[in-house]
Amino acid sequence: MIRIEELTKTYLLGEVRVEALQGVSLEIESGEFVAVIGSSGSGKSTLMHILGCLDRPTSGNYFFTGRDVSQLSPDEQALIRNEQIGFVFQSFNLLPRTPAVDNVELPLLYAKERLSRSDRRSRAAAALESVGLADRADHQPSQLSGGQQQRVAIARALMNQPDILLADEPTGNLDSRTSIDIMKTFQSLNKDRGITIIIITHERVIADYASRVIELADGRIETDTVQRAVEATPS
Amino acid sequence: MTEPVTVEIAIQALRRYPLRTALALVGLAIGVGAVLVTIALGTGAQSAIRDQVRAAGLNVIVVKAGNYRTKGEGGGGVVAPHGFLRKLQDALTPTAHAHPENDPMEKHDHPTAAERLGDAEAGLGGAATLTQEDANAIASLDGVAHVASGVHENVKVFAGDNRWFTRLHGTDVDLPLVRRAHTLVFGRFFDTGELEGSARVAVLGSVVHQKLFGDGVDPVGSEINLWGQAFRVIGVTASTNWMTPGAPGDDEFDAVYVPYTTIHTLLNVTNLNTITVTTESSGEVTNVRSAITDLLRARHTIPDTAPDDFTVSTQATEILAKGLHPNVARVLVGNLPNLEKVTLQELSATLERAGSTMKALLAAIAAVSLVVGGIGITNIMLLSVTERTREIGLRMSVGARAKDVSSQFFVEALTLALTGGVAGVVLGIVVSAILTGAFGWSTEISLGAVLAAFAIAVAIGVVSGFLPARRAAALDPIDALRYE
Repeated sequence: MIRIEELTKTYLLGEVRVEALQGVSLEIESGEFVAVIGSSGSGKSTLMHILGCLDRPTSGNYFFTGRDVSQLSPDEQALIRNEQIGFVFQSFNLLPRTPAVDNVELPLLYAKERLSRSDRRSRAAAALESVGLADRADHQPSQLSGGQQQRVAIARALMNQPDILLADEPTGNLDSRTSIDIMKTFQSLNKDRGITIIIITHERVIADYASRVIELADGRIETDTVQRAVEATPS
Repeated sequence: MTEPVTVEIAIQALRRYPLRTALALVGLAIGVGAVLVTIALGTGAQSAIRDQVRAAGLNVIVVKAGNYRTKGEGGGGVVAPHGFLRKLQDALTPTAHAHPENDPMEKHDHPTAAERLGDAEAGLGGAATLTQEDANAIASLDGVAHVASGVHENVKVFAGDNRWFTRLHGTDVDLPLVRRAHTLVFGRFFDTGELEGSARVAVLGSVVHQKLFGDGVDPVGSEINLWGQAFRVIGVTASTNWMTPGAPGDDEFDAVYVPYTTIHTLLNVTNLNTITVTTESSGEVTNVRSAITDLLRARHTIPDTAPDDFTVSTQATEILAKGLHPNVARVLVGNLPNLEKVTLQELSATLERAGSTMKALLAAIAAVSLVVGGIGITNIMLLSVTERTREIGLRMSVGARAKDVSSQFFVEALTLALTGGVAGVVLGIVVSAILTGAFGWSTEISLGAVLAAFAIAVAIGVVSGFLPARRAAALDPIDALRYE
């Protein structure tokens, strides 16, 4: 599903060259649940941006579902993000003052296929139901708890039936109990629906719920281990 | 360029910030409304001027006793007698009667007869050379519609303890037909019976009415006193035109109207100061004017070498001289023999130009306020881009292209402008109606003005949407998502 070869990314911060990625190669198969861990500055966020087609590598190749996407134009990248990738962020990034159902609907508004308003509604409602928030459809983000907000964000990420779910510190703003709930949601999405999931985190405990852990340090892969995932038990 | 879904996205975004949206809308609506109201007022004032010219009489000819010029039409540049000659002429010219205003020791708080254009004493001056027979002869000319004789005096008028120094017009029953800008707010004008019987009845001008009786008091049936004689008030006449309400010192509403026969009887005179003529159509003014000149010269047996002993003027001279200092007016009218040839069309055009200038000035002021409103919208939209940076980043992460983001912000600004424009047009129409209804200002809303105001609103939308839209689209999704 994902194959990257000798990926590098160099930023220019004023006069200083920052080499965020210094030759990263890796392959991720369809249906995997991968955690990328590392301290801040290890390059994990940069890696996620490139994997998520939000950014382009300075050099190296990135094959996504068999296609070289390393040097696509911004509009082509937008199309891939819309159709094949779902994002979950640390700070949820829900539109304020907007009901949950409207937030979930958002990706459909930019889809190539133009759905009618009622179709969009029913699909958004179904997505909310799949994360257990059917009764919160009309609530605004400020009326939802952190865990509920993150589940709304997950429902949004699932709207266009993506091939892959990219989660950047998805539990960073949540308490440990809610974090386990969210990880449980990811595990069941991975198991029941076969969605490939990549989680970026700096917490080892969170990484334990994944079946493969890639550790980054100074822009290089330090370790890459397949493990037996800890089962998230619903509280 | 814009898909329906973009409009949906934009409207949803606007509704998310109701206060900000409402403030922007109110600002624009007031701007557009102000433009519309000022244009409506300007257009209304222009129409009022046009009506006034029309009401003042496109077809009015005034024949005055005496002549400011020494010779007829060709007399331009000839100076009226002065010095010794003037004194000689004055001595030889019989005056109708001794006038209290001629007392040099008397001080007046109003223009005296001599200072008023109609009684100017240049040339043959106040010589009362016209008679009622002249008026009757003029009435039988072709093309003449109405004739009103006039004898004019200055009087003190008494009503109980109140007194007022004003203008007395002895006139004919046809005067209301000649003066179309007059309306009787109380009672009626005098009739033929009262005219023939030299009845002591009076119609008050609105200013006199207000000074003697107070506004709104019906004076019909009350008694007033002129030259120690009791007169019965039978009516009050006022202006129909808000542009020229009655004012102290004017000749029309600071005045008392009585039958000319009554003045003749009381003062024991037979002559007229003026004969006011209306023609059946305004096109006949020039012909009727020369017919009157020929008729009167024949009736007064004036040899070809002598000047007229009367002055025939059309409304053009009246309007041009109105409001000028009497001496200036005298010079103007006396030394421009071709003045009557100024057509009313030219006169209207001049007034129209003045009106247009005023309208343009008002519209310019309003446009400035609209531009300020537009800058306000641009500012709000720009702030909104900054404030919503993360939203933009999120939209990009779920697949919005730069184009989608820029159209959203553009459509938001345009939606604000269009809605504000419509609200402004409605506001402008309502306010104009209120100004007309409650204050009596004439306003006129034309389709052109509505379209212009709306077009400006749309232009503001386009201009104020462009910059924020471009800025939003230029954002990098990663930076936007990270924005704190």
